[in-house]
Amino acid sequence: MNLNLKVDKTHRYDAIVVGSGMTGGMAAKELTEKGLQVLMIERGREVKHIEDYDTAMKGPWEFQHRGKISIHSAEEYWANSRFGNLANEETGEFFTDDKKNPYIEKRPFDWIRAYHTGGKSMHWGRQSYRFNKNDFEANAKEGIAIDWPIRYEDLEPWYTHVEKFVGISGQKENLEVLPDGHFLPAMPMSAPELYFKEQMMKKLNRPITIGRVANLTKPQPWHTELGRASCQYRSKCSRGCPYGAYYSSLSGSIPAARKTNKLTVLHDTIASEIIFDEKTQKATGVRVVNQKTLAVEEYFAKIIFLNAGSMNSAALLLNSKSNRFPTGFGNDSDQVGRNIMDHHLGVGANATVEGFEDDYIFGQRPNALYIPKFRNWGTDKRDYLRGFGYQGGASRSDWKRGITTDGFGATFKEDMTKPGSWVMGFGGFGEVLPNPENRMYLDKDKKDPYGIPMIVFDAAFGENEIAMRKDMMNAAVEMLEVAGFKNVAGFNRQDTHLGLGIHDMGTARMGKDPKTSVLNKFNQVHAAKNVFVTDGAAMVSSSCVNPSITYMAMTARAANHAVEELKKQNL
Amino acid sequence: MMDRRNAIRNVALLVGGAFSAPTLMAMNHWEDNLKASPAAFALSDNQKLIVAEVAEIIIPKTNTPGAKDVGVPDFVVMMIQDCYRKPEHISFAEGLADLENKKFLSLSSSQKSEILKQVESNSVEQMKVYQVQQTKMGDNDDREQMKEQAKGLPFWRLIKELTLLGYYTSEQGLKSSFDYVPIPGKLEMTKLKPNQKSFAY
Repeated sequence: MNLNLKVDKTHRYDAIVVGSGMTGGMAAKELTEKGLQVLMIERGREVKHIEDYDTAMKGPWEFQHRGKISIHSAEEYWANSRFGNLANEETGEFFTDDKKNPYIEKRPFDWIRAYHTGGKSMHWGRQSYRFNKNDFEANAKEGIAIDWPIRYEDLEPWYTHVEKFVGISGQKENLEVLPDGHFLPAMPMSAPELYFKEQMMKKLNRPITIGRVANLTKPQPWHTELGRASCQYRSKCSRGCPYGAYYSSLSGSIPAARKTNKLTVLHDTIASEIIFDEKTQKATGVRVVNQKTLAVEEYFAKIIFLNAGSMNSAALLLNSKSNRFPTGFGNDSDQVGRNIMDHHLGVGANATVEGFEDDYIFGQRPNALYIPKFRNWGTDKRDYLRGFGYQGGASRSDWKRGITTDGFGATFKEDMTKPGSWVMGFGGFGEVLPNPENRMYLDKDKKDPYGIPMIVFDAAFGENEIAMRKDMMNAAVEMLEVAGFKNVAGFNRQDTHLGLGIHDMGTARMGKDPKTSVLNKFNQVHAAKNVFVTDGAAMVSSSCVNPSITYMAMTARAANHAVEELKKQNL
Repeated sequence: MMDRRNAIRNVALLVGGAFSAPTLMAMNHWEDNLKASPAAFALSDNQKLIVAEVAEIIIPKTNTPGAKDVGVPDFVVMMIQDCYRKPEHISFAEGLADLENKKFLSLSSSQKSEILKQVESNSVEQMKVYQVQQTKMGDNDDREQMKEQAKGLPFWRLIKELTLLGYYTSEQGLKSSFDYVPIPGKLEMTKLKPNQKSFAY
């Protein structure tokens, strides 16, 4: 592996990218391909593609607790463990030890992090949907928060650009609510799913599509060139994909950036402050802390991209104080850290499906069905704003059904070797409205082990989300009943908090007016245009679709703008 | 502000499975510096024999290996120790004490089965208070949600779940029960053949 470790003695680069995850990787790729010398700063340990995927090829018996989380791990990963064992034996190495990286909760917040090369791109759900035109207009139409400074048309070419590179498997549907993208061949649906899809169209006029997912169903030459191969349908994506079929920064953007020989990556390096020059009114670089030695260093560049993840990017702005920015870098509007959004989940319905006994599936599909938003769309009007989509599908139960059904002994044992009946279920992803009172800020006194102020979360779901959840459950129940399935049971978990969707966003929003927003329409800090924030922090509203592909499109667009502006000597 | 330091939370386990949750203390402050030391959990030799016997009755040796052949008894004990807290330690020990009182090991195999059928039907009632619910999360994960209870999960639920988990995920148990396809290489909708075994991945 070509690791560019030669750090320039003068610590000078064309661009610094803080973070190596979904958007940091994309920023590094775009900037290096346009000829810039880029320094990427990653706070966590180095993970090498393939080589460091320790659990990727293990059989189930090779995990001591067979996937269950031990009490010990549950205490190390306390935030991860509240709702489900995200950080289990199979995938734990790609989640962050919460005990070593503490945060403060004024109100409960499930902050799920991934401090290592590739960040959360190592275990993202890979679902990739474009925002629709209305997503960019809804705030203005409804008088919510502020208007987006961009429209769908501004992002459209960049969606195509990143979709091609990433490789998204999906089906064109020609729906206004869910714009089509550039797709690789779609994954198939099972027999009960096809039946369900047909019933929904016939009885509710509701379109359903197969999930649009960042797994290569048919690698294109530019994927193969980076060493990426076709999906093997193991559905063990979050252990790290040794085939590179699953898009992550490690399989895609970082190798592409390395090919240019213009990328330098620092690991174990935590960006603590942006350095501001009062004379030029520009940022000149970043101050960093080595997480192993606690040594402090400074690195300099013409432009800086913040891609540390929405909460950490905002924290970095807040921690960068100067005469010009006494309350944090670019925080003239007091919006940095505010308007935290996510998607709310843990609500939906399940059912058992009769029949289809001779239908089965070979291989594991790392994907589900997608039911696009249908509430507050077209002629539908609800007493709450916005809407939700569902992900889910049908599967045949396996031996685990034996846990909850009676029986034991030789016949029971034999039964367990055969597939059980089909079950079908859906979980919703609901849009969260921006609210300035949902915020994070830095604690005045408490510092983390690296001497950086700790983050305090003070955010919760609002009335609109709570009202929507009831409908999310009922609508899921209705669909399964309309399809004629049995034992339909809705669920609406009350123990979820903001953050759990791992789609946290909104803490340094874009906008037209510097008084009410942090960034301009090209993700530049209004008052210091050589600093770009292109991760989830930039979002003005959340839509209900999984956001990563939108972050990546925004990043590519901002990188293009940055290089154009550099050429014009505007930065 | 909610103090959740003492809130007992259920977490669901194993994506796609109906696994019961070990209860976890949700810690509010990193300064708590709680030592990750599960309460001591020790079984007598006699109790260990009962665990092995019950596991073997659940998954007996047939033309394929049984629970004892693949090391399930030790696995069950290790799991109770490592993955469960005091309430489950207590309910598991209570279940074993009950079988000890019934002189379980000295009974005939048909008597043993009768007793376990009784234990099983009792636990159906006990499980009702937990209001177990399957929930779908993002990325199409299935997880199990249970209503919080001060009482540990019933003995039968624990031993049955851990026996099945230990057996069907052991190398011998898995390969002799299923068609093991670690690298499918393709995704196809198929028709089941007569007596076809499940795929395992």
